Amino acid sequence: MLIIQAIGFGVITAALIAIGAMGFTVQFGLTNVLNISYAGAMTVGAFATFLAEVVHLPLVVGVLLAPLAAAALTWVLGRTLFAFYARRGAGLFEMVMVTLAVNLILQFGIDAASREQIYRFAFPQGASLHVGPFTVTVTQLALVVVAVAVFGGLEFLLRRTRLGKALRAMAVEPRLARTCGIPTARIVTVVWLLSGALAGLAGLGYVINALTIDASVGTSFLPLVLAAAILGKAGSTRGAVLAALALGVVTEEVAAVGGAAYSTVAGFGILAVVLLTRPAALAGQTAGKAEITV
Amino acid sequence: MRKPIYLTLATTGLLGLAACASSGGSTASTGPVGIVQVGAYTGDQAFEAQFAASIDYPALYAVNHAGGILGRQVSLIQVDTRSDPADALAAMGKTLATSSNIAAILGPDSTSAATLVPLLNSHHLPMMIAAGEAAYDRSPYAYLWRDVPPDPANGEAIALWAKQQGYASVATVFGTDTGSQGDLPGVVAGVKAVGIKLADQENLTPDQPSYRAAVERLLAARPAAIITESDGPTAATFFGELKQLGSLVPVIGTSGTPSDSYFTPMRGAIGSANFNKYFRAVVVGNPVTNPAVTAFNASVLAVQNKLSKPVTQWENNSFSESGYDGMITLALAMDAAHSTDGTVYNTYIMQVTAPGPGKQVVYTYAAGKAALAAGHKIQYIGASGPLLFSKYHNSFGSQAVEEFPANAPAVVVGTITQAQVQALGG
Repeated sequence: MLIIQAIGFGVITAALIAIGAMGFTVQFGLTNVLNISYAGAMTVGAFATFLAEVVHLPLVVGVLLAPLAAAALTWVLGRTLFAFYARRGAGLFEMVMVTLAVNLILQFGIDAASREQIYRFAFPQGASLHVGPFTVTVTQLALVVVAVAVFGGLEFLLRRTRLGKALRAMAVEPRLARTCGIPTARIVTVVWLLSGALAGLAGLGYVINALTIDASVGTSFLPLVLAAAILGKAGSTRGAVLAALALGVVTEEVAAVGGAAYSTVAGFGILAVVLLTRPAALAGQTAGKAEITV
Repeated sequence: MRKPIYLTLATTGLLGLAACASSGGSTASTGPVGIVQVGAYTGDQAFEAQFAASIDYPALYAVNHAGGILGRQVSLIQVDTRSDPADALAAMGKTLATSSNIAAILGPDSTSAATLVPLLNSHHLPMMIAAGEAAYDRSPYAYLWRDVPPDPANGEAIALWAKQQGYASVATVFGTDTGSQGDLPGVVAGVKAVGIKLADQENLTPDQPSYRAAVERLLAARPAAIITESDGPTAATFFGELKQLGSLVPVIGTSGTPSDSYFTPMRGAIGSANFNKYFRAVVVGNPVTNPAVTAFNASVLAVQNKLSKPVTQWENNSFSESGYDGMITLALAMDAAHSTDGTVYNTYIMQVTAPGPGKQVVYTYAAGKAALAAGHKIQYIGASGPLLFSKYHNSFGSQAVEEFPANAPAVVVGTITQAQVQALGG
């Protein structure tokens, strides 16, 4: 019974991871920047909703503020700081260090501003629904629906629109895309905004589930997001969703069978095994494109 | 994975050099007396910093307000372990190499005790540790002192409380981090010793987005109560999901749980009314009412702008009282020995706390200092009660069972005595 229930729990966890992983992988696939500050964007998004709650703004406004704040932050970082370093010839590794530094600044800045406190995140959870062996709250169900909607929207955007085609072309061959007249700067802007918005949503989903918020929420969540993005092949939203599903279900199944302490071990064990057997998972998208596009 | 080992060895080597270069236990005889608080100010155990503040600033206020030690003001030197034993070693080594006025150490805690205690002992620095590990029950370290119960004692007291409440079966829910795991062996041993069924054991990797599978397994085991210690966010996620998926049962926290960084997330997760109804903690320190408690609370209020809010969480806080008593004891020992040199005043720690014929009982630093100046021998009885150190420098008193109303001081609802714990095998 618990093994079956764990599948349901895994889907909810997967939905949280998937939203973050899709945002991360779309941006990574296009810009080639392994953006560690994505964690900070998740935290900023979550805090935006938290602050809205503190000042008693309507719930809908608070929820919208998460993607908006994180999108604005990511866009500003991408178009200014990261672009500055890219123009000065920063390589892939240097850019990782820049994003890591930005993340630390964001995390400890928020930590100081929030007086190093852990706050309760009083988001309405809704009633508990019992569907067969599964028990979920209305809010958890909504998170799954949001994840599915994000996935559907991204797939539509990438495969059915001119913007999506341009984006995919840039991801594969940025120089050729520029030569063909694709407005690369505009595409990159869209991707930073999109990635940031999804980071904000993911951060919000995490704190809704965890019921608390502090400056480290993004950093705590980033390893799972990164694992799903890497496992699913950089740049692939479908891969990210499948990887998130695998991570979510496996970690919950292991928690159900072997104990919660082993769930994270199992999740990252999968990542290690996949990278051993398919080392191109991370490099797949970037092998032919060592260029940073910001 | 060899890098950390090399790093530790390299750090140890550097510390060795620093130790050779430094002047051992001797301290400067002028200027402020340095008291080091070593603890986690950053990293995953950073929540401990607010506990440290609730000890340091009231004690510092009490000592300096009474004129300081031997007429010298006391200054606080904070050493950040960054929640990591190797980082702790490096940070402490640097402090020892660069400060000449260090007279005593408050700490280390469980995270860094293994690396720091030998170092500090070799520097002849008396330390009032906050580590409950059994390794220090019969410690060979001459400069190590502990006025908090060892971890097994807290676990055994929890088991005794569970037995008193008539719980037939319990489950344990503990974080897998070092700080949270310390009490678990004592809890498990205690539960078995008192004849309660251990229905389920859940160990939680901190800060995961969900623990639903663990919650379901716990619910299937149907425990009458849960014994727990973890960080606040982990607890909030777990108990929030427990409330969603089933029903709450009484929760008994260890001495590591009472703080606002734990209470706030928990209240948010299960609701304030549920928290008040179900949550109790067995905390270190003897619930006493004496002038030392009054002095401690007055000191807390005097420095409240330096403590995390609400300040009520620190008034009558047993853990804070024990730490405060530790620092007052060290200060009185220095006064009694007329020296801030650890090699000189270390033996006086026992002298100013042990009962004895003709000794003047004092409850505050000011009173103790005055009595010593008048030529009396003293017994300091602190806000946590008498400090009766064993030959292994362990003082081990009763433990309080407390409930925690919102925005109000903790309320003692029961006491587990040292004799009860010892009868269980503690």
